[in-house]
Order: sequence, then structure tokens, then C-alpha cells
Amino acid sequence: MTTTATDLARADWLLAPGLAPNAADAVLAPLYAGAARGELVLPSCGACGLALELEQRACDRCDSADVVWAAVAPTGEVHSATTVHRRERGLVLATEPYPVVDVELASGHRLVMTTLAPRASAPAIGEAVRIGFRSVGGVAVPAAELAAAEIRPVHPSDTEVTP
Amino acid sequence: MTAAAVPAGAVPGAPVGIVGLGLTTMSLEPGGAPGDLAAQAVTAALADAGLTKRDVDGLLVNTSQGVRPDRLSVALARQIGLGDLRLLEHLEIKGATTVAMVARAVLAIRAGMAETVVCVFADAPLQPGGSAGSTYAHSGGSDGVRGLERASGVLGSVPTYALMAARYLHVTGGNPDDLCAVAVSTRAWAVHNPDAVVRTPLDAEGYRASRMISTPLRVLDCARPVNGAAAVVVSGRPGRGGHPPVHVLGMGFDHPVRRRRAGTESWFGGGRRAADDALAMAGRRPADVGVRELYDPFSVVTLCLLEEYGFCAPGTAGAVARSGALGPGGDLPTNTGGGQLSGFYLQGMTPLVEAVVQLRGTGGARQVPGVTTAFVGGIGGRIDHHAALVLDREAA
Ligand SMILES: [Zn+2]
Repeated sequence: MTTTATDLARADWLLAPGLAPNAADAVLAPLYAGAARGELVLPSCGACGLALELEQRACDRCDSADVVWAAVAPTGEVHSATTVHRRERGLVLATEPYPVVDVELASGHRLVMTTLAPRASAPAIGEAVRIGFRSVGGVAVPAAELAAAEIRPVHPSDTEVTP
Repeated sequence: MTAAAVPAGAVPGAPVGIVGLGLTTMSLEPGGAPGDLAAQAVTAALADAGLTKRDVDGLLVNTSQGVRPDRLSVALARQIGLGDLRLLEHLEIKGATTVAMVARAVLAIRAGMAETVVCVFADAPLQPGGSAGSTYAHSGGSDGVRGLERASGVLGSVPTYALMAARYLHVTGGNPDDLCAVAVSTRAWAVHNPDAVVRTPLDAEGYRASRMISTPLRVLDCARPVNGAAAVVVSGRPGRGGHPPVHVLGMGFDHPVRRRRAGTESWFGGGRRAADDALAMAGRRPADVGVRELYDPFSVVTLCLLEEYGFCAPGTAGAVARSGALGPGGDLPTNTGGGQLSGFYLQGMTPLVEAVVQLRGTGGARQVPGVTTAFVGGIGGRIDHHAALVLDREAA
């Protein structure tokens, strides 16, 4: 699955465009630039190669401050997952509960994302994941594609507005 | 403890205590600005202590982050009519701040740098035109990791704690009945707390019928935000309010770093040192603790903290909860005022207030008999910051 310009122009299945992240973010700009090219770009230690957290400025293993953002393999597995039932009106466009998945990537990074397509329930921990990209308000963000993606039938909206 | 380093003005070795406690009404309706609520709580706490504003030489403030622009600041001191203070600070360790404020006050008093310090927390997330859940869903912005998470559907704090809960249950072999047991036992305490905002009895059937927010967390697994405030008066001198003394015997902190990378648990674990240090300073063991008052924004956090702080063996808190041990009449009374789930969500003030009530013996129908030692656990971030207190009604 590759992401095309057409995919990115299409409205997101889940969220309103107002939730677009800041693509020029001081820290995450390389991730967004990579995502726009269809690449998963994440930070690692330039000295020892350790997978770093997105906001990490120095390596906790070797102390190097050389943080290198580079494309990593777009594969991983589910570390944790939830199905979100509460859908805030005006922010969530989907009319059914949606998954949020914490993905452990083959590169060692962990990244929270939703799925590429609507899905009735959260995937199981350990399930294999491939990374694709959604577009929120024109900004590409990583999204999980599951081996056995389940497409939900359309039901009438039962959007909840209170916690 | 050696008295050698105690400066003039402090009474060497004298225990520092919580001598005053003040609460506003805990409201589920919009209304009240944090500053006004804080002023009410401070006034109530001083009256409870039998003191006046002229007796106060320290004020510590803290308020919920992010949700409102009109947060408490050190300007509160002049706004509420306090005089020249020796200690005046705004502390910020996220949700752990409230418990940390008490430790900060005790250290200043022991060092002779203040004598009587008021600690106050106020929050007013309920605003006209939207529920608290709606307010939280709209807050967070588009920058940094939070911006990326929000663009991935992580709105408000519930989905994050749902990921934690799902992972915790996976690792411990637990299931949603473990969470249910916490919600039910916590409510059983709240039924007898006049300050709790939800006091209707709850059973497992009622829990399972409650609305799912983000699997496995239902609405009854989540704290009840309120508009309200609470204040405590910490002093090196006995209060004049006629209450039994509540001494701060132990304090501990821990700020574990759980890395978000393969080979480690990202969502829970760490913080044990806060409890161990507080208990060691107090000369107490976990078995000496009569009540455990823990910061419980979500049911799963109670389970994580009971294990982390050494009150349950790792992976067993769910079974302990299902046995009924956490509830009234149980062997391990926990969150005896209804916690944040059923009592009220005022961050660390929720467990702190209940610990003081239990040690004073004023818990009414929810009073745990014979309590002499209470443990207070506060957390911040995603269980990233821990602040613990051991309170005792006996002098050390
Ligand atoms: Zn390194």
C-alpha cells in the first residue's frame, strides 16, 4: 500500500480537519515531511542507533545528543489498543466507535495511531501491523493497517456528547 | 532525626502537622472561578484550624493545567488578603503537585523558614456549554506529541488511560471484572461520604450497564471532575481547632522514566521509591497503614498503585479488589471517601483530604475503626510523577 496525493486530499474517515497537527512543529516536522512522502520517519541515536522517543534530545544509552531522523521499516505489532466510544461532536466525524492503537514498530519505536480504515473493534495485542498514512486537514499522519482489516457496516449515528 | 541543624525559631524534633482542612461545595454544575473557590477553601481551612490570616506566613498554590486560562498564581496571596509572607510559591509537578505542596511546606517549616503554611488547590473544568469531557477533548493543541496523538483520535485523557488499562490487564492476565471491583468498592465508600458527588449504591450489574468511553474503561471507571477547591493548613505549632493532631511523618518522591520503546512496559510501573522513602522516614511498614488514599483518576490506576507501592504483590491487585478487600469491612481499606471516581476529582487533594478525615476520626459512617496511620499517594502525568505522604495521629 502506498500513499498517493489523491489519498491525502481525501477527507479523513475519522476526524475533522481542525485537528490537523502543526506540520511545521519544531520537533515533529521531519515526521510530517516524511509522512507526506509516504515514509515513516522517526528519531534514532546517531551514535549508537537506539530508537529514541519523539521528543528526546539526547540518547539515554550513550549520552550522544546526535538525534537522526530517518525512514524506518513501516511494520510492527500491536502493543496496546482501545476502541474509543466517546465521540466529541465537531471533532470526530465517524459515526461509530473507532480504534486507537499503540504500535511497537520493528525499529523499536512505539507510536500511537488510529487505523487506516474504519474498524469495529480494537485489534488484539500482538497482531501484526503495517503503517500507512491518513490525512487530517491536509497533514499526513501514520495510521495502522491490520492484516485482517474489518470494514464496519454503516449504522445510524449515535454520537455521544457527554463523558 | 537529628536536631543539630534545626535553626532558631523551629522547635527541634517537633512534628509538623496538618491542623486545618477546608473544602468548598463540590459542584457538578458550571460556575465559580478558581480564584474565588480557592479563597473560600482557604477561609474554611483557617476557620477549621482556629487560626486567622495573620497567623499564616506561607502559601503554596497549584491548579489544574491546560483546561482554563484563569489559573491560580502567587497573586492569590494578595487577592485573598494575606499579609507579608515568608513562603509563597506556585508548584508544578502535574497531578502530583498537591501532595508535593504538603512536603514542601513541611520542609520549609522544619528548616525554620516558615511556621504556618496554607496549601490550596482549585479547579473549575465545568463550564457553560459543554461537559468536562468536552472541555478536555478540545484541549491539548496541535503541537508536539500531543498534537500528533490528537490527530490520531486521542482526545481528552481517557483513550490514553484506556491503552494503559488494556495493557495492564493483558500483562497481569486480568479482565474488566478487576476494574469493576474497584469502581464498586470505591462507590461503597462514597455512599457514606457527604462530600462525595456520586452516592447512589452501585453493583456489578450497574457498572456493566454504564456507558463505555474507551475500552475497557466505562464512564464509571473515570474520575468525576468538579468545580471546587480544597485547602490544608500545615503548621509546626498545634492548631486551635480542637482536632486531634495529624502529623506528617514521612514524605517521598519518585519520577520514573518509562521509555516508549521495545523491551519495556511503557504504560505502567515505577514509583515504588516514593512509597518506600515515605514509609522509611515515618518508621512504618505497609502493614502499619490503616487506610490507603490513592490518586485514582481511573480505576486501573488504583490497581497499578496498590502493586507499585507494595500493598499488593505484582499482578494481584485485581484479585484483591475482587475479594472485596478494598471496600468497607475489607482488610485493605482504600480510597475510603469514594476517591476521585465517586467522591470528587480535585487531584491530590482528594486522597489528602480523606486521609486527614480518617485520622481525625470524623469519617462518620465511613470511618475505618482504629486508624492511626494513613498513606497518601499522588501521581502526575501518565503515572510519571509520584509524591507520597505518611500521616499519623500519634507523635513519632
Ligand atoms: Zn546512543
